[in-house]
Amino acid sequence: MHTRTMLILLGLALLAALPLIATSYYLYLVELAMINVIVAIGLNLLSGNCGQISLCNASFMGIGAYCTALCTTRLGLPVLIALPSGAMTSALLGAALGYPARRLSGLYLALTTLGFLELVGVVIEEFPEITGGIRGLKVPRPEMFGYSFQSNVSLYFFVLVLTMGAITVGYNIQRSRYGRAFDAVRQSPFAAQALGIPVARIKVIAFSLNAGFAGFAGGLLASVVGFIDPPEFGILTSIQHITFIVVGGLGSVAGSIAGAVLLTALPEVLRGVQEYSELIYGLILLGTLMFLPQGLVGVVAKFDGLRSAKPPAKEPAYGAP
Amino acid sequence: MALLEINALSVRFGGVTAVTDLSLAISAGEIHGIIGPNGAGKTSLINAITGMVTPYSGSIRFSNKEIVGVAPHMISSFGLGRTFQHVELFADRSVFDNVLTGFFRHQSYGVFAAAAWFAKASKSERRTQDLTRALLDAFDLAPLADTRAGLLPFGVQKRVDIARALAAEPKLLLLDEPVSGMSEAEAEAAVATMRKLAREHGITLVVVEHNMRVLMNLAERVTVLNQGRLLASGTPVEMQADAAVIEAYLGDAV
Amino acid sequence: MTSRIILQLALSGLSIGSIYALVGLALVLPFKASGIVNFAQGEIVTFGAYLALILTGLGLPYLAVVPLVLIGAAAFGTVIERLLIRPIVHQPEFTLVIVTFAIGFIIKSAIRLHWQDNTFSIEAPFVGPPLVLGELRLNPAYLVYIATTVLVVVALLFFFGHSKFGKAMRATAIDPIAAKLMGVRIGSVFSAAWALSTMLGASVGLLLAPVIGINPEIGHLILKGLVAAVIGGFTSLGGALAGGLLLGLLETYAGAFFGATFKNLVPFGVLILLLLLRPQGLAGASSVRRV
Repeated sequence: MHTRTMLILLGLALLAALPLIATSYYLYLVELAMINVIVAIGLNLLSGNCGQISLCNASFMGIGAYCTALCTTRLGLPVLIALPSGAMTSALLGAALGYPARRLSGLYLALTTLGFLELVGVVIEEFPEITGGIRGLKVPRPEMFGYSFQSNVSLYFFVLVLTMGAITVGYNIQRSRYGRAFDAVRQSPFAAQALGIPVARIKVIAFSLNAGFAGFAGGLLASVVGFIDPPEFGILTSIQHITFIVVGGLGSVAGSIAGAVLLTALPEVLRGVQEYSELIYGLILLGTLMFLPQGLVGVVAKFDGLRSAKPPAKEPAYGAP
Repeated sequence: MALLEINALSVRFGGVTAVTDLSLAISAGEIHGIIGPNGAGKTSLINAITGMVTPYSGSIRFSNKEIVGVAPHMISSFGLGRTFQHVELFADRSVFDNVLTGFFRHQSYGVFAAAAWFAKASKSERRTQDLTRALLDAFDLAPLADTRAGLLPFGVQKRVDIARALAAEPKLLLLDEPVSGMSEAEAEAAVATMRKLAREHGITLVVVEHNMRVLMNLAERVTVLNQGRLLASGTPVEMQADAAVIEAYLGDAV
Repeated sequence: MTSRIILQLALSGLSIGSIYALVGLALVLPFKASGIVNFAQGEIVTFGAYLALILTGLGLPYLAVVPLVLIGAAAFGTVIERLLIRPIVHQPEFTLVIVTFAIGFIIKSAIRLHWQDNTFSIEAPFVGPPLVLGELRLNPAYLVYIATTVLVVVALLFFFGHSKFGKAMRATAIDPIAAKLMGVRIGSVFSAAWALSTMLGASVGLLLAPVIGINPEIGHLILKGLVAAVIGGFTSLGGALAGGLLLGLLETYAGAFFGATFKNLVPFGVLILLLLLRPQGLAGASSVRRV
């Protein structure tokens, strides 16, 4: 059996068995890590594959969170409708942002997303009748077909299953013609156009997918934590998300998983030096950008020889008699 | 009726007129060369045809459709492809992936099908991968399939560029200096493959070059540009002997 | 709506607009020279304020602290440029943007590590009771803000227009390769641009600290500076000045007539509208890269 498949199965088995040995606190941590994995996968599609910078990823998470929360609390909808609704709303708004911004790049795109981030933040705070404002919003445990995920273990498996689904979707999109189109748009928009790839539309799709993933993760976050408030969806969180994919590896699903898991675990590891955790976070981000631009995946690949695949030593002479 | 009809085309940018009042007709199935010394306006012409640059005046009709002002990716979807003088490969993807990407517009499954990997998507991917392998074989690129495109020598990259452009199954392919950077042997082989594929699939080739020797064996007709204007047009042999052409080319390899 | 209130609001708007303009100028300078936007500029403002806190804590009077902070900020900016920015100048824009964010993040965390989220205050000679001029009541700090900005702009105009180094900077901004060939040391130009911009940022910290207090969040006003810079097309110093003043006025009037909610929405509404409809700003040239 292929090594990679074996590793995946092993990982799944460990995750499934986790509730037997872990306390509910650690289950909660793993849930957070899984939610961050979903976020990272979505952001990697947009920024890693498609090369579009986005500083408002946290906003889409927030939109999904508030949407899902409102669906369950105000409208009494079951979570299986509330979650997709949150994700869909987020995806639509992602397209709404991506469409007018489709011709921008680099600095101006960054600024537009920054403006959007701040705008969403202001809207959340200025309409407390709907969003609970700065006081936040309480969210009940998810409910499905009358069964309420009150127990920590059942919630854990709920999140686990959904995360596996999200990872599969992310992987599928990346290996599909859309993943290739994203990469093409990033590396050479001219060549992409010459091949009939609609560059602007692809960018909008990328924005929409990214927002959808983030919104889905946000909805899950609301259900897991039971409470959401505005500071969670600000610039710091957006930068955190970017750190996941930079450290893990841009453009790679495995990188998204690695980066999200490691950096969610980091504050735990730094428990003893809690005050330093923010500073260390920033230093890790800076250090990775400057010295390890390929991220962890790049480091692993160097050992694997994959990324630095050189042409065979004796190139077959093309055209020689 | 010509496949590509250019009428009184003028292209300007930055205060410079790159192409002036150019008229040209290319028939389907033809292998047509466009030649001229550096600065003759060849790349501007290609950019105008492919929609990357909006011409100042004039008309360009492809398959009897006016394409001036149409978005570049739409022009490509009408069946007009191009390769690039400076390659423009997807450098950090493998050769295989580069050519595979070329098949994008012939795949039709949507985002949801991709997300769930419905049969429509998986079948399309399998078919396209087979087609890619065939194309790589045709260009002798199979042994290099997994190599990162950016690591290849320039001449090989140009080959990948051509293969990728052909993956989009164009009706007319514009080649911008396709063999520059290749060795003699590579160039000859590339030319032979292009001619073969053009014949087999009925692709019209428009080859832009500044080296007449390449066009001698490949082109049926040659149009000579000089300083943005049409200088002469005819068979390669006629052009080689044409006095005005020779004068324009003084010092260049003819 | 009396003319007194309108004038009063105008003064208020112009003075806060001056601050925005200064931050905007600080952002445009390194962008003009090296094409990089320093998203850590907000934290440079914070840095300036805290440096002033340290020095006044040593017993120095405000006026003595000012030149020291400016020099310290210039040195800080040069170090950042040489060590962190120069090595990555050729990386894709994504990396450049995130790197400057990361630098800002590190500065802010370091500050919070030492001083936590407490707010400190320092004294300055321009903080005092409002001056009464006829019907108008003028906060002396406002006057200092406006005066400083005018002085800075005049100094910059003179510097770029008439000094040798200023001309070297302009040449580098237009065409770095040509400038290099003409003997301009573009490395020094880059460092100088950053040093100037961090000085400007720190000066904003100096100006704000006695009035609004010192805490890690004051860097948040980088957003206002960004809007000011965008209004000016991000390449025009005069445009950034006009942009900042315009933004200050818009905000103040919006707040007075339509309430706080509207006031908060103004900068981001303006930013998004401009970026999507007219990225070259109201003054800049139409050479914004669109794919």
